[in-house]
Amino acid sequence: MAHYDYEEKKLSVSRREFLGLLGVGAAVIWMGAYVTTDLVKNRKKYIRMRAQGLYKDDGQSVIRQSHNNKALMDMYAQFAGKPLSTVPQELFHTKYVDRINLGGVI
Amino acid sequence: MARDSTEKRILKHPLASRIFHWCLIMGFLPAAISGFILWLKVGGDGIRHVALEIHMMGATVFTVSVIGYMILRFTRVLAYVHRIFSWNKNDLGWFKVLGGYPQKILFGKNVEVPPMGKINSGQKILSIVLFFGGPILIITGWILYAYIPVLPKIFIFWVDVVHLILGVLCGLFIIGHIFLGVYNWSDFKVMFGDGVIDFAEANEHTPVWVKNEVEPVNHQPLSNLKVVEK
Repeated sequence: MAHYDYEEKKLSVSRREFLGLLGVGAAVIWMGAYVTTDLVKNRKKYIRMRAQGLYKDDGQSVIRQSHNNKALMDMYAQFAGKPLSTVPQELFHTKYVDRINLGGVI
Repeated sequence: MARDSTEKRILKHPLASRIFHWCLIMGFLPAAISGFILWLKVGGDGIRHVALEIHMMGATVFTVSVIGYMILRFTRVLAYVHRIFSWNKNDLGWFKVLGGYPQKILFGKNVEVPPMGKINSGQKILSIVLFFGGPILIITGWILYAYIPVLPKIFIFWVDVVHLILGVLCGLFIIGHIFLGVYNWSDFKVMFGDGVIDFAEANEHTPVWVKNEVEPVNHQPLSNLKVVEK
Protein backbone atom coordinates (compact mmCIF):
# COMPACT_ATOMS: atom_id res chain seq x y z
CA MET A 1 0.00 0.00 0.00
CA ALA A 2 1.33 3.36 -0.96
CA HIS A 3 2.55 5.69 1.73
CA TYR A 4 1.04 9.14 1.98
CA ASP A 5 1.22 12.01 4.42
CA TYR A 6 -1.96 13.89 3.52
CA GLU A 7 -5.49 13.03 2.61
CA GLU A 8 -8.72 14.81 1.79
CA LYS A 9 -10.72 16.21 4.68
CA LYS A 10 -13.62 13.99 5.64
CA LEU A 11 -17.04 15.33 4.80
CA SER A 12 -19.52 14.97 7.63
CA VAL A 13 -23.25 14.94 7.00
CA SER A 14 -25.56 16.16 9.76
CA ARG A 15 -28.75 14.28 10.63
CA ARG A 16 -30.83 17.11 9.16
CA GLU A 17 -28.88 17.01 5.83
CA PHE A 18 -29.10 13.23 5.72
CA LEU A 19 -32.87 13.26 6.27
CA GLY A 20 -33.28 16.01 3.66
CA LEU A 21 -31.32 14.04 1.07
CA LEU A 22 -33.18 10.87 1.99
CA GLY A 23 -36.48 12.71 1.50
CA VAL A 24 -35.48 14.06 -1.92
CA GLY A 25 -34.28 10.60 -2.98
CA ALA A 26 -37.45 8.93 -1.75
CA ALA A 27 -39.60 11.54 -3.54
CA VAL A 28 -37.76 11.00 -6.84
CA ILE A 29 -38.03 7.20 -6.56
CA TRP A 30 -41.69 7.40 -5.52
CA MET A 31 -42.58 9.68 -8.45
CA GLY A 32 -40.75 7.42 -10.91
CA ALA A 33 -42.48 4.34 -9.52
CA TYR A 34 -45.87 6.12 -9.61
CA VAL A 35 -45.44 7.19 -13.26
CA THR A 36 -44.23 3.71 -14.31
CA THR A 37 -47.01 1.82 -12.52
CA ASP A 38 -49.56 4.29 -13.90
CA LEU A 39 -48.30 3.66 -17.45
CA VAL A 40 -48.34 -0.12 -16.98
CA LYS A 41 -51.82 0.03 -15.37
CA ASN A 42 -53.19 2.08 -18.29
CA ARG A 43 -51.57 -0.25 -20.79
CA LYS A 44 -53.18 -3.26 -19.07
CA LYS A 45 -56.50 -1.42 -18.98
CA TYR A 46 -56.47 -0.93 -22.76
CA ILE A 47 -55.49 -4.56 -23.35
CA ARG A 48 -58.30 -5.72 -21.05
CA MET A 49 -60.84 -3.44 -22.81
CA ARG A 50 -59.72 -4.69 -26.22
CA ALA A 51 -59.99 -8.32 -25.07
CA GLN A 52 -63.45 -7.64 -23.62
CA GLY A 53 -64.51 -6.13 -26.96
CA LEU A 54 -63.30 -9.21 -28.84
CA TYR A 55 -65.07 -11.56 -26.43
CA LYS A 56 -68.23 -9.46 -26.79
CA ASP A 57 -68.02 -9.72 -30.61
CA ASP A 58 -67.52 -13.48 -30.28
CA GLY A 59 -70.44 -13.75 -27.88
CA GLN A 60 -72.73 -11.93 -30.29
CA SER A 61 -71.64 -13.99 -33.31
CA VAL A 62 -73.88 -16.83 -34.44
CA ILE A 63 -71.02 -18.73 -36.03
CA ARG A 64 -67.88 -18.74 -33.93
CA GLN A 65 -65.51 -20.92 -35.95
CA SER A 66 -63.27 -19.49 -38.68
CA HIS A 67 -63.63 -22.61 -40.84
CA ASN A 68 -67.42 -22.05 -40.81
CA ASN A 69 -67.14 -18.31 -41.41
CA LYS A 70 -69.36 -17.58 -44.43
CA ALA A 71 -67.40 -14.50 -45.48
CA LEU A 72 -64.19 -16.52 -45.46
CA MET A 73 -65.74 -19.38 -47.40
CA ASP A 74 -67.11 -16.89 -49.97
CA MET A 75 -63.66 -15.33 -50.30
CA TYR A 76 -62.11 -18.73 -51.08
CA ALA A 77 -64.96 -19.73 -53.38
CA GLN A 78 -65.00 -16.55 -55.41
CA PHE A 79 -61.39 -15.40 -55.31
CA ALA A 80 -58.64 -17.26 -53.51
CA GLY A 81 -59.24 -20.87 -54.56
CA LYS A 82 -58.49 -23.06 -51.56
CA PRO A 83 -56.40 -22.68 -48.39
CA LEU A 84 -52.59 -22.97 -48.93
CA SER A 85 -52.94 -22.44 -52.69
CA THR A 86 -50.83 -19.82 -54.47
CA VAL A 87 -53.06 -16.74 -54.05
CA PRO A 88 -53.69 -17.01 -50.27
CA GLN A 89 -50.05 -17.99 -49.80
CA GLU A 90 -48.94 -14.77 -51.49
CA LEU A 91 -51.50 -12.60 -49.74
CA PHE A 92 -51.60 -13.96 -46.20
CA HIS A 93 -48.27 -15.59 -45.53
CA THR A 94 -45.95 -13.48 -43.38
CA LYS A 95 -42.23 -13.26 -43.86
CA TYR A 96 -39.46 -13.43 -41.25
CA VAL A 97 -38.22 -10.00 -40.26
CA ASP A 98 -34.82 -9.70 -38.62
CA ARG A 99 -35.39 -7.45 -35.62
CA ILE A 100 -31.84 -7.62 -34.34
CA ASN A 101 -31.57 -3.94 -35.17
CA LEU A 102 -32.88 -2.00 -32.17
CA GLY A 103 -34.66 0.47 -34.45
CA GLY A 104 -36.86 -2.34 -35.69
CA VAL A 105 -38.21 -3.04 -32.23
CA ILE A 106 -40.16 0.16 -31.96
CA MET B 1 -0.67 31.30 0.51
CA ALA B 2 0.48 27.88 -0.49
CA ARG B 3 2.18 25.10 1.40
CA ASP B 4 5.40 23.88 0.00
CA SER B 5 6.91 20.44 0.38
CA THR B 6 8.61 18.32 -2.21
CA GLU B 7 8.86 15.14 -0.18
CA LYS B 8 5.29 14.81 0.99
CA ARG B 9 2.56 12.88 -0.80
CA ILE B 10 -1.23 13.18 -0.84
CA LEU B 11 -3.81 10.46 -1.26
CA LYS B 12 -5.77 12.04 -4.10
CA HIS B 13 -7.97 9.13 -5.08
CA PRO B 14 -8.87 6.58 -2.35
CA LEU B 15 -9.22 2.89 -3.20
CA ALA B 16 -13.01 3.03 -3.64
CA SER B 17 -12.74 5.86 -6.18
CA ARG B 18 -10.03 4.03 -8.09
CA ILE B 19 -12.05 0.80 -8.18
CA PHE B 20 -15.07 2.81 -9.33
CA HIS B 21 -13.01 4.30 -12.18
CA TRP B 22 -11.79 0.82 -13.17
CA CYS B 23 -15.42 -0.33 -13.17
CA LEU B 24 -16.30 2.58 -15.46
CA ILE B 25 -13.52 1.48 -17.80
CA MET B 26 -14.93 -2.07 -17.80
CA GLY B 27 -18.58 -1.05 -17.83
CA PHE B 28 -19.27 2.33 -19.35
CA LEU B 29 -16.57 2.20 -22.02
CA PRO B 30 -17.66 -1.12 -23.65
CA ALA B 31 -21.29 0.00 -23.38
CA ALA B 32 -20.46 3.32 -25.06
CA ILE B 33 -18.40 1.77 -27.89
CA SER B 34 -21.02 -0.94 -28.56
CA GLY B 35 -23.73 1.72 -28.34
CA PHE B 36 -22.05 3.71 -31.11
CA ILE B 37 -21.79 0.49 -33.19
CA LEU B 38 -25.53 -0.13 -32.75
CA TRP B 39 -26.44 3.50 -33.47
CA LEU B 40 -24.25 3.86 -36.57
CA LYS B 41 -25.16 0.32 -37.75
CA VAL B 42 -21.51 -0.66 -38.15
CA GLY B 43 -20.95 -4.11 -39.67
CA GLY B 44 -23.44 -6.86 -40.33
CA ASP B 45 -26.04 -8.58 -38.17
CA GLY B 46 -23.43 -10.74 -36.44
CA ILE B 47 -21.31 -7.79 -35.33
CA ARG B 48 -24.37 -5.89 -34.13
CA HIS B 49 -25.62 -8.92 -32.23
CA VAL B 50 -22.29 -9.19 -30.39
CA ALA B 51 -22.34 -5.40 -29.85
CA LEU B 52 -25.79 -5.68 -28.27
CA GLU B 53 -24.57 -8.43 -25.93
CA ILE B 54 -21.53 -6.35 -24.94
CA HIS B 55 -23.78 -3.30 -24.52
CA MET B 56 -25.94 -5.13 -22.01
CA MET B 57 -23.02 -6.68 -20.11
CA GLY B 58 -21.22 -3.32 -19.92
CA ALA B 59 -24.45 -1.65 -18.80
CA THR B 60 -24.79 -4.21 -16.00
CA VAL B 61 -21.27 -3.54 -14.72
CA PHE B 62 -21.92 0.22 -15.03
CA THR B 63 -25.22 0.02 -13.13
CA VAL B 64 -23.86 -2.12 -10.30
CA SER B 65 -20.77 0.05 -9.88
CA VAL B 66 -22.75 3.33 -9.83
CA ILE B 67 -25.28 2.03 -7.29
CA GLY B 68 -22.53 0.40 -5.21
CA TYR B 69 -20.39 3.53 -5.12
CA MET B 70 -23.37 5.73 -4.26
CA ILE B 71 -24.32 3.51 -1.33
CA LEU B 72 -20.86 2.62 -0.02
CA ARG B 73 -19.24 6.03 -0.54
CA PHE B 74 -22.19 8.33 -0.09
CA THR B 75 -20.20 11.17 1.51
CA ARG B 76 -17.70 11.16 -1.36
CA VAL B 77 -20.60 11.47 -3.80
CA LEU B 78 -21.87 14.44 -1.79
CA ALA B 79 -18.41 16.05 -1.82
CA TYR B 80 -18.27 15.44 -5.57
CA VAL B 81 -21.70 17.00 -6.11
CA HIS B 82 -20.69 20.01 -4.02
CA ARG B 83 -17.50 20.34 -6.04
CA ILE B 84 -19.10 20.20 -9.50
CA PHE B 85 -21.77 22.77 -8.62
CA SER B 86 -19.33 25.23 -7.03
CA TRP B 87 -18.46 27.90 -9.57
CA ASN B 88 -16.59 31.19 -9.28
CA LYS B 89 -14.74 33.71 -11.44
CA ASN B 90 -11.78 31.36 -11.78
CA ASP B 91 -13.99 29.05 -13.84
CA LEU B 92 -14.73 31.88 -16.24
CA GLY B 93 -11.00 32.54 -16.50
CA TRP B 94 -10.38 28.84 -17.14
CA PHE B 95 -12.88 28.82 -20.01
CA LYS B 96 -11.35 31.98 -21.51
CA VAL B 97 -8.09 30.07 -22.07
CA LEU B 98 -9.75 26.62 -22.19
CA GLY B 99 -7.47 25.46 -19.44
CA GLY B 100 -4.47 26.34 -21.61
CA TYR B 101 -4.80 22.99 -23.40
CA PRO B 102 -5.20 24.18 -27.02
CA GLN B 103 -2.21 26.52 -26.67
CA LYS B 104 -0.12 23.75 -25.10
CA ILE B 105 -1.18 20.96 -27.47
CA LEU B 106 -1.23 22.92 -30.73
CA PHE B 107 1.50 25.52 -30.22
CA GLY B 108 3.54 24.17 -27.31
CA LYS B 109 2.89 27.43 -25.46
CA ASN B 110 2.14 27.71 -21.75
CA VAL B 111 -0.45 30.28 -20.73
CA GLU B 112 -1.48 31.29 -17.25
CA VAL B 113 -4.47 29.34 -15.97
CA PRO B 114 -6.48 30.42 -12.90
CA PRO B 115 -5.91 28.23 -9.82
CA MET B 116 -8.22 25.23 -9.74
CA GLY B 117 -9.62 22.85 -7.16
CA LYS B 118 -9.51 19.08 -7.35
CA ILE B 119 -11.31 19.14 -10.67
CA ASN B 120 -11.01 21.92 -13.23
CA SER B 121 -13.86 23.77 -14.93
CA GLY B 122 -13.90 21.49 -17.97
CA GLN B 123 -14.13 18.45 -15.71
CA LYS B 124 -17.00 20.17 -13.88
CA ILE B 125 -18.96 20.39 -17.13
CA LEU B 126 -18.16 16.74 -17.91
CA SER B 127 -19.16 15.74 -14.39
CA ILE B 128 -22.48 17.60 -14.55
CA VAL B 129 -23.28 15.90 -17.88
CA LEU B 130 -22.40 12.50 -16.42
CA PHE B 131 -24.10 13.20 -13.08
CA PHE B 132 -27.44 13.66 -14.81
CA GLY B 133 -26.75 11.65 -17.96
CA GLY B 134 -25.41 8.50 -16.27
CA PRO B 135 -28.43 7.68 -14.09
CA ILE B 136 -30.86 8.62 -16.88
CA LEU B 137 -28.93 6.37 -19.29
CA ILE B 138 -29.14 3.53 -16.76
CA ILE B 139 -32.88 3.95 -16.18
CA THR B 140 -33.79 4.37 -19.86
CA GLY B 141 -31.49 1.47 -20.81
CA TRP B 142 -33.16 -0.93 -18.40
CA ILE B 143 -36.60 0.23 -19.55
CA LEU B 144 -35.56 -0.57 -23.15
CA TYR B 145 -34.19 -3.94 -22.00
CA ALA B 146 -37.14 -5.12 -19.92
CA TYR B 147 -40.28 -3.05 -20.40
CA ILE B 148 -40.86 -2.68 -24.14
CA PRO B 149 -43.78 -5.17 -24.17
CA VAL B 150 -45.63 -3.63 -21.24
CA LEU B 151 -45.22 0.12 -21.77
CA PRO B 152 -46.95 2.30 -24.39
CA LYS B 153 -45.09 2.54 -27.69
CA ILE B 154 -44.94 6.34 -27.68
CA PHE B 155 -43.34 6.27 -24.21
CA ILE B 156 -40.79 3.69 -25.35
CA PHE B 157 -40.10 5.82 -28.43
CA TRP B 158 -39.18 8.84 -26.28
CA VAL B 159 -37.19 6.66 -23.86
CA ASP B 160 -35.19 5.44 -26.86
CA VAL B 161 -34.66 9.02 -28.12
CA VAL B 162 -33.48 10.23 -24.69
CA HIS B 163 -31.20 7.17 -24.31
CA LEU B 164 -29.66 7.82 -27.72
CA ILE B 165 -29.10 11.57 -27.26
CA LEU B 166 -27.63 11.22 -23.77
CA GLY B 167 -25.56 8.22 -24.86
CA VAL B 168 -24.00 10.16 -27.73
CA LEU B 169 -23.47 13.24 -25.54
CA CYS B 170 -21.85 11.30 -22.69
CA GLY B 171 -19.84 9.22 -25.18
CA LEU B 172 -18.41 12.34 -26.86
CA PHE B 173 -17.55 13.90 -23.50
CA ILE B 174 -15.84 10.68 -22.44
CA ILE B 175 -13.73 10.65 -25.62
CA GLY B 176 -12.48 14.14 -24.70
CA HIS B 177 -11.99 13.06 -21.08
CA ILE B 178 -9.90 10.03 -22.07
CA PHE B 179 -7.81 12.11 -24.49
CA LEU B 180 -6.99 14.72 -21.85
CA GLY B 181 -6.57 12.00 -19.21
CA VAL B 182 -3.90 10.29 -21.29
CA TYR B 183 -2.38 13.71 -22.12
CA ASN B 184 -2.03 14.37 -18.36
CA TRP B 185 -0.26 11.05 -17.96
CA SER B 186 0.97 11.56 -14.39
CA ASP B 187 -2.56 12.26 -13.15
CA PHE B 188 -3.82 9.30 -15.19
CA LYS B 189 -1.34 7.05 -13.38
CA VAL B 190 -2.53 8.39 -10.02
CA MET B 191 -6.15 7.46 -10.79
CA PHE B 192 -5.37 4.02 -12.18
CA GLY B 193 -2.40 3.34 -9.92
CA ASP B 194 -1.93 3.84 -6.20
CA GLY B 195 -3.96 7.05 -5.96
CA VAL B 196 -1.10 9.02 -4.44
CA ILE B 197 0.31 12.25 -5.86
CA ASP B 198 3.35 14.34 -4.95
CA PHE B 199 2.45 17.29 -2.80
CA ALA B 200 4.38 19.71 -5.01
CA GLU B 201 2.69 18.49 -8.17
CA ALA B 202 -0.76 18.67 -6.59
CA ASN B 203 0.01 22.15 -5.32
CA GLU B 204 1.01 23.24 -8.80
CA HIS B 205 -2.03 21.86 -10.64
CA THR B 206 -4.73 21.96 -7.96
CA PRO B 207 -3.66 24.64 -5.45
CA VAL B 208 -7.21 25.44 -4.28
CA TRP B 209 -7.80 21.79 -3.42
CA VAL B 210 -4.52 21.48 -1.53
CA LYS B 211 -5.17 24.70 0.35
CA ASN B 212 -8.80 24.08 1.34
CA GLU B 213 -9.49 20.37 1.28
CA VAL B 214 -6.30 18.56 2.24
CA GLU B 215 -5.13 17.79 5.76
CA PRO B 216 -2.36 15.72 7.28
CA VAL B 217 -3.14 12.08 7.98
CA ASN B 218 -4.34 11.52 11.59
CA HIS B 219 -4.71 15.31 11.91
CA GLN B 220 -1.08 15.90 12.72
CA PRO B 221 -0.17 19.52 13.40
CA LEU B 222 0.78 21.57 10.38
CA SER B 223 3.82 22.97 12.18
CA ASN B 224 6.17 20.64 10.31
CA LEU B 225 5.21 22.31 7.04
CA LYS B 226 7.08 25.14 5.49
CA VAL B 227 4.62 27.86 4.62
CA VAL B 228 5.42 30.22 1.78
CA GLU B 229 3.64 33.25 0.41
CA LYS B 230 2.81 33.01 -3.28
